[in-house]
Amino acid sequence: MQIQDLPYPDPGVPDTRSGPRFLWWLGRNQLDGQLRSLAWGLLHFMAVAALPFCVGFAVQAVVDRSGGRLALAGGLLALCSAATALGDTLLHRSAVTNWITAAARVQQLLARKAAHLGAALTRRVAAGEVVAVSTGDVEKIGWFVEAASRFTAAALTVAAVGIGLLVYQPALGVVVAAGLPVVALAVLPLLPHATRRADAQREKAGRATELASDTVAGLRVLRGIGGEELFLDRYRRASQEVRRAAVRSARMWSLIAATQVLLPGLLLVAVVWYGIHLARQGRISVGELVTVYSSVMVLNYPLWHFQEIAMAYSFSRPSAQRAARVLSLERATERSGARVRASDGPGGGPGDAGSTGPGTPGTPSGDLYDPATGLLVPSGLLTAVVCGDPDASGLLAQRLGGHAPQDGPSVLLGGVRLDELPLDVARTAVLVQDKDPVLLSGSVRELLDVPASGAVRPIEALTAARCDDVLDALAQGSSDAADPLDARLTERGRSLSGGQRQRLALARSLLTDPEVLVLDEPTSAVDAHTEARIAEGLRHLRNGRTTVVFASSPLLLDHADRVVLVHEGEVVVVGAHRDLVDTEPRYRAVVTRGTDAATAPDTAGDASDRDGDPRDGRGAATLKPRAELPELVGLEEIEETA
Amino acid sequence: MIGVTPPAYDPAAATAASTLPVGAPATVRAYVAELYRRHRGAFAALIAVNTVAVVASMVGPWLLGDLVERVAAGAGDLRPERVAALFVPALLVQAVFVRQVRLRGAMLGERMLADLREDFLVRSVGLPPGVLERAGTGDLLSRITTDIDRLANAMREAVPQLAIGVMWTLLLLGGLVVTAPPLAPAVLLALPVLIVGCRWYFRRAPSAYRSEAAGYAAVAAALAETVDAGHTVEAHRLSDRRVELSEHRIRQWTAWERYTLWLRSVLFPVVNAVHAVVLGSVLMVGGVFVLHGWIGVGQLTTAALIAQMLVDPVNLILRWYDELQVAQVSLARLVGVRDIEPDAGDASLAPAGREVLAKGVHFGYREGVDVLREVSLRVAPGTRLALVGPSGAGKSTLGRLLAGVYGPRAGRVALGGAELSRMTAEQVRSHVALVNQEHHVFVGSLRDNLLLAAVHATDTDLWAALGAVGADGWARALDDGLETEVGSGGVALTPAQAQQIALARLVLADPHTLVLDEATSLLDPRAARRLERSLARVLEGRTVVAIAHRLHTAHDADVIAVVENGRISELGSHDDLVAAGGPYAALWRSWHG
Repeated sequence: MQIQDLPYPDPGVPDTRSGPRFLWWLGRNQLDGQLRSLAWGLLHFMAVAALPFCVGFAVQAVVDRSGGRLALAGGLLALCSAATALGDTLLHRSAVTNWITAAARVQQLLARKAAHLGAALTRRVAAGEVVAVSTGDVEKIGWFVEAASRFTAAALTVAAVGIGLLVYQPALGVVVAAGLPVVALAVLPLLPHATRRADAQREKAGRATELASDTVAGLRVLRGIGGEELFLDRYRRASQEVRRAAVRSARMWSLIAATQVLLPGLLLVAVVWYGIHLARQGRISVGELVTVYSSVMVLNYPLWHFQEIAMAYSFSRPSAQRAARVLSLERATERSGARVRASDGPGGGPGDAGSTGPGTPGTPSGDLYDPATGLLVPSGLLTAVVCGDPDASGLLAQRLGGHAPQDGPSVLLGGVRLDELPLDVARTAVLVQDKDPVLLSGSVRELLDVPASGAVRPIEALTAARCDDVLDALAQGSSDAADPLDARLTERGRSLSGGQRQRLALARSLLTDPEVLVLDEPTSAVDAHTEARIAEGLRHLRNGRTTVVFASSPLLLDHADRVVLVHEGEVVVVGAHRDLVDTEPRYRAVVTRGTDAATAPDTAGDASDRDGDPRDGRGAATLKPRAELPELVGLEEIEETA
Repeated sequence: MIGVTPPAYDPAAATAASTLPVGAPATVRAYVAELYRRHRGAFAALIAVNTVAVVASMVGPWLLGDLVERVAAGAGDLRPERVAALFVPALLVQAVFVRQVRLRGAMLGERMLADLREDFLVRSVGLPPGVLERAGTGDLLSRITTDIDRLANAMREAVPQLAIGVMWTLLLLGGLVVTAPPLAPAVLLALPVLIVGCRWYFRRAPSAYRSEAAGYAAVAAALAETVDAGHTVEAHRLSDRRVELSEHRIRQWTAWERYTLWLRSVLFPVVNAVHAVVLGSVLMVGGVFVLHGWIGVGQLTTAALIAQMLVDPVNLILRWYDELQVAQVSLARLVGVRDIEPDAGDASLAPAGREVLAKGVHFGYREGVDVLREVSLRVAPGTRLALVGPSGAGKSTLGRLLAGVYGPRAGRVALGGAELSRMTAEQVRSHVALVNQEHHVFVGSLRDNLLLAAVHATDTDLWAALGAVGADGWARALDDGLETEVGSGGVALTPAQAQQIALARLVLADPHTLVLDEATSLLDPRAARRLERSLARVLEGRTVVAIAHRLHTAHDADVIAVVENGRISELGSHDDLVAAGGPYAALWRSWHG
């Protein structure tokens, strides 16, 4: 695999049984790259190891006063240098290629896994872990996979040089051969301590970064209310802790560095000491002595790879384990997807037209029915659902889309159980826009480039969701976009206000034009003026299509064909907004929000409400008190607003 | 391979104009000088221990040279006792001082890094609120994460290692010259190759590495977004597109990897050639010199060994030099925050009274485009004013002017007769607070989250504030009470609980005037209801300017100002406006049914 051919057309099916197996799988899948790296590595390290021989040969030539042999040494040196350079460059190229292809493969696997898991991922703790693997672990995994062949080349070279010296200068070679394993392996016991300290340092650094970004994220709050010094002190403490941890870690690494000076140095002392004895006895030439000494110096380079591979493995093994765990995640609700007609449909229940939607074979259409709550959404109408408890409404909206995480009977569309349709078909038939739809970064055009029926044009969807001023604001923010559709959204649309984000998300859902569109509080952050106009737009654009809106604002409810009040998990009453306001106190309590003093008893003094747990589901029954307002003191316009 | 051109798409290129300034070269230079002055002593110590380590490392080659000289000359006494007396102590000194070099280098780097990140945060929290409102915190956030990260390597490794590498090289060259003075010019033969190669490489490398890093970050960012948007991706059937996007990003990133790999494919042979030329010229020229009897064979041996030792420091310099160049850009972004005028403000200016007054106010975010035109208002102490109107009409902008976040372009906004925009941020916030949709819960204890509003508050005060907003119930149920860690990574609070904390902070800060920018609008309307009750308690007795998205907020207010197209088009009480039959009345009717 060459870099320019990335990404892989198919990254393959990883062996995720364990971290080491995953590493092995990655290495096995780039075998040719590993072999290439090994071959160039051998050339490089061998050429480097041959240099001392040239040096010794040259010195000996000078001692022998032979100009010809000196020239020959020069030629050998040039040859070795050329081989070193070639090997170095090509080893680097093949090793980096191995790293990049391994990293790209893991990133591709992660992207596929995340896209496949979709909503299932956000329900798990694993969401953060997927991102952590992508940002932190991939590099370490690639490091070890890549280093494996490089290390092998270095280790073979060290062995070869050891044997070579034994043959070249047996007496001194024995000393070196005996010393090499000690030098190679001596620092390994220190490494676990060093990596542990490095981990501790990284953890502390992560904590400090978190504190800093948290402080910056809340900076407007701090500047508006105070407490800057409190948070600065806290950050300073964390920052100093990072520094101390880093120095602690550096102590261990500096000890390793000293060991790496001391042990080869002692070997050199032994070589010189013993070399003197050999020279006294005339058993060694000057050139040989220089060669052996220089060899020991040069061998430091391949020997360093013993330390590197140990480090790479200790860093990459936990990373590979995390990656393997993430890549082995599966959807909990994986279904066979065979389309089964409901045999036990709602007894006497409505809506089993059971016809298949036009143009989309396999997609059912008709009435949507939820057996759990008894909610019926007639085909082609705009149904509004009012629900006292926000969490319950979120779950109900999710269930209407089928393949919901919680247990319970499946929702039926045209009599067909959505749970038994393949996920993709179910999602095509029913689009559920949750309370917090995410705007993906990119241009507005890209945002609106979603699978859609094609019946609704982008401009129609944007108009219906009243996005004109959003587009204006975006166009003003980006200098180079002539067409507002090319204006760019930042991540999650953070540069926009909550209301603007909601409107863009609504436009995207309207554009999709699904058989059934379920919207959960689509305009909760939109101002009343705009909400009223969106209600009209929605009504107009979804005319004749099945639409469900979870809402509590009269401006939306007034436009619905029918309004359903769900209370404590069951449909309580169905009717038109205006009728329900007049006849149903529970309904009035939810939607008019106590502005009508006559119908809203004042419960402000009720101590039982003070604990105010918003999830306790009593919302529907509890009426909002009239806000206790200060006496009207008086405010006047002092000048004409021209 | 003839060459690789840089990819057309550059992920490091700014997509939107940077919202905060990037430091001018002079600012960066001044900062670096200041940083150096602060750590001058540590730099000197590092250089000193490094010198000892390098000098000690040359004892071995020198001894071997001496030995070779004697063997070649057929001297009887090879003086083995000198090996014990000199080599072993030199080795020990070298080991000890190498350790010191590593350690002191790390300590110096870490100290500089800590200074840098702390300085940056100090500057950031001093930014004027108006700058923050306008620029948002995204740019600052990327500076404190990405840029600090990039600088970490530079400060922790590159600066000390470069100092070490340069010293090391110079000392070895010095050793070479002292050992065999005639050989010094031989080393210079390699210099032209090195200069030409490095110039070519370092002209291209820093920006290429920046793009490569940005490209890799974009790969991870695409995945993070897919994960974050899991629900949306599944609902809209975007899985295939997300995979395509990730692979597209991988293609863009690897294109830069391929380019930088090509740059190194040129640099590596150059560096190898330099090492070869140095060693080769020392050996060949030196060999000829020995044959002519100009230097001894021992000198040649020592020189050759030192020439081999040059590989390490030269590689060290090349390894860290581009890191330093990449870091320069990040440094400029960090110190750029220094170029923003800190919130000056007139510390002596204090309001006399609580009346909020806007007179003939004009304001615009951009030159020539006014968002507000000729707005005048008087809000008497204790009144509740609601601003209603369509999106983009200028409600929020007016609210921010009344809260002193922005100063008007023309006209004046005053609190108790003193102009808000001329007061210090600290002065303003003791009187006025802006409450917006942002209810940030800080990472840390619940206590810290409250204390920021009143640093000297006692636990009793904190519980009282929590009680006042109806949050003491769930707060007391927390395992560690006020010590409970909240925020990201701690106990997850519901949006409603986060909002209650924000309200409790207001109770503690106790400003007499509040500007509410629909603080509860991002919440589910039904969850918002309990909060409104908490809010009502907080609002008691204070002057309130409420930017209302919901009509019931307007209904409850004493006075309603309808803002349309940058002007106040209607002003009066709810009953007055309904009776007047204008736009407000029409909206009210459709809302109330």
